[in-house]
Parts: sequence; C-alpha cells; structure tokens
Amino acid sequence: MLGLRAARSLRSALPKTKNAVALRPATRAIASSSRLRSEKPPAIYGEGAKPGEVPTDFQQATGLERLQLLGQMEGVDVFNTGPLIMSKAGTLEDPTLVPSYSEERIVGCNGWPSETHDMVWLTASNHRENSRCPECGNVFKLQFLGEAGGHHHH
Amino acid sequence: MINFNNQIASQRGKFQAFPFHLVEQSPWPLATSFTLLTMALGAVAYFQGFPFGGELLLLGFVLTASVMILWFKDIVIERTYLGDHTSQVQSGISLGFILFVLSEVMAFLSVFWAFFHSSLAPTIEIGGTWPPVGIESVDAFAIPLLNTILLLSSGAFVTWGHHALIKGDRFGAIVGTFITIILALIFTGLQAFEYMEAPFSFADSVFGTVFYASTGLHGLHVIVGTIFLTVAFIRIVQYHYTDSHHAGFESAILYWHFVDVVWIFLYIFVYVWAS
Repeated sequence: MLGLRAARSLRSALPKTKNAVALRPATRAIASSSRLRSEKPPAIYGEGAKPGEVPTDFQQATGLERLQLLGQMEGVDVFNTGPLIMSKAGTLEDPTLVPSYSEERIVGCNGWPSETHDMVWLTASNHRENSRCPECGNVFKLQFLGEAGGHHHH
Repeated sequence: MINFNNQIASQRGKFQAFPFHLVEQSPWPLATSFTLLTMALGAVAYFQGFPFGGELLLLGFVLTASVMILWFKDIVIERTYLGDHTSQVQSGISLGFILFVLSEVMAFLSVFWAFFHSSLAPTIEIGGTWPPVGIESVDAFAIPLLNTILLLSSGAFVTWGHHALIKGDRFGAIVGTFITIILALIFTGLQAFEYMEAPFSFADSVFGTVFYASTGLHGLHVIVGTIFLTVAFIRIVQYHYTDSHHAGFESAILYWHFVDVVWIFLYIFVYVWAS
C-alpha cells in the first residue's frame, strides 16, 4: 500500500481537511530519523474513523502500534517480550534457537533444567556457528529472521 | 488492510524489534527552558515594578504557549500519525503521569503543612487566634460552596465524557468534556472575582499569605487542568482518540480529579474550618 494513499485514508475521517495537507505524509517539524534511517518501515494503515463515530484501534492505529495490534489479533507477540522457553537442552546437533531480527542477540542461560546455575550471558550471533554455555554446555544458535544485508550499522 | 501472516510477517524485520519509543532529537525541551526563564524573569520584574516587566511576562507567556503547541503537535504526530505509542509506551506514559501527580500531592502537602503550622497554634503576634485579630475571612458558604459544587459536578461530567468515549458515543464524549471545561472556566472566573472582592491581601499577615499561596497554587492547577482538558477535547473532536487508546485524556482526567480532591481539602480546612 502506498504511503500517500494510506495517509489520505487515515485523513478521510477528517472531512474538513484540505487535500494539500492530506497528501503530505506525516512527519514531525524537525525530524532527524529520516536522515539516519536507511529505509523506512512499510506504512500500514486501517480504514480510519467513520465520520461521527469514535474510531477503534483497529480502524485508527498505524505504524508500530498497528503491527502490535495485528499480531495480538492473531495471538502473536511481535516484539517477542517473553523469556526464551527451552523445552530441552540445546546440543551441537540440535541447538536451542534464538529468534532475532538483528544479527546479534544476547541470551541468558541459567541451565537445563532451568535455574540450575547462575545466569551466564552469551551472545548469539549471525557470524558464528553457535554459542555454548561454559557452565552447563547448552548450545544456542541465532535464528536470523531479518533480511540479509538489510541493516548494517557497523 | 494488511493480513499479518501474509504481508506483515515477511516485512517484520523492517520494523524495529522492540516496542519502546526512542524519541528523536527535538528542540522543544531547550526552547521550553528559555521561554520559562523569560516568563519567570518577567514575573519577577512585573511584581517588583520594573519597567516593561509586564511586557516581558506577556512575552514569556506567548512564547511558552507557542512552544507547548509545537511540542504537543510533535507528540500528536508521533502518536496518531506515526503509531509510535505501542501498549508498552502507553503504560509508560500513564505510569509517568501517576508519578508526576504523586509529586504534585507532595507539593500541596507542604503548602498545607505551612497552613497548619500557622493556624493550629497561632502565635501571639497575630493575637493567638485564627483568623488573626483584625482579619475578616471569606464566607465559606457563599462563593466557595458554589465553587465546590461546580468542581464536583465537573468531575461527574468528565466521567460521563470518558465513559461515552469508551462506549464509542462521540456525542457524549464531546458534550461531557465540553461542559467540564465550561464549569472549570466558571470556577476560575469566580475565584478571580473572590480575589478581587476579598477584604485582605497577600501581605495581610500570615493568614493572607497562606490563604493566597494555597488557593493560588490550586487555582494555577485548575488553569493547567483546563488547558489539559481542552487539548483532550480538541483531540476527541479531531478523531485522534480511539475507544481504548486515549492515555492523554485519561491523564487529564486523573489530573482533574486530583485538582478536585485538593479543593475539597482546601474548602474544608482553609475556608470552613479557618473561618
């Protein structure tokens, strides 16, 4: 969906808005992120409020808020905020996968079964085969979900 | 409408991985510092009778109001048009505001402390009585009682507006909030009238000082609460708030109830008990 078209659909809830304003995508007065960010996240919009009605989040929400909402509607925590639940010990043949949209993710291991040793922080990285806990031998491996070569801030 | 499984899932990596809002560089905090400095210097110059003190104070007011509008505009854009306020951001804002109100409670606590310090054991210099000898206090059952009724009913009207918004009743949300703002303005007007009619001044013993300090601080909070509710009202009219995401309105309501409760204490102790 094109950003401009979508911006108009969000604005369609505001009958008095002039077209010139409606066609301009939403930006802040003095924003620095557009220069720093190599690519913008895709624009996602709902249908917007109906005139004379209070909109719902599903009609109105956009951006990251909408991503979270759409995920919740399908039972998905898009930010993956819960702990990484291990159902078995990770081995070299079958490591515990650490999902990540970044090329690196820090993971804390407290043993298998859980809480059998103090927390050890390991770095699961796209650039190495796996990461192994020196305390209990659990093997972790980054499951890279992002696009290869998408973001490089090195 | 974009289906999560088909389109979003493949583009998930293009969004930030975490739900929090890392705010961008903004000129408004620094600008606010300078406009508030202008306002404070203008107020001092005005109160001390320096030439052009009033003009400097007015300039400070205009500049502060301008920066507030620009800052609020940025936040509205981030919230409504960029969708930066995930549920985690919303709870952060709400918790931050609750803590702010707690700090306000402490500020009023210190003012009440000053009041009770002077009134519970009045010194010999003011005649050993409260109100002091020669001070005629305000009749608590005239305008102050009317103001109590006004504020309490405005609390009821803002609840109507809030629940109407949650129920998706746009008309009720607009009317309820609008009546709240009108009652707030009448309250401020009556307080101003009472100040002009009062038979004692800020400088008339510790009674005048503590009376105007406590009711004046409360009056300033009423004005700020009115501005807060007016911003919320404009955003309801502009379709910014949804039936479940309106943290700004809820913060305004919390602030308004806080102002309401402080007034109840003021009315009981500073107006009724002290007269």
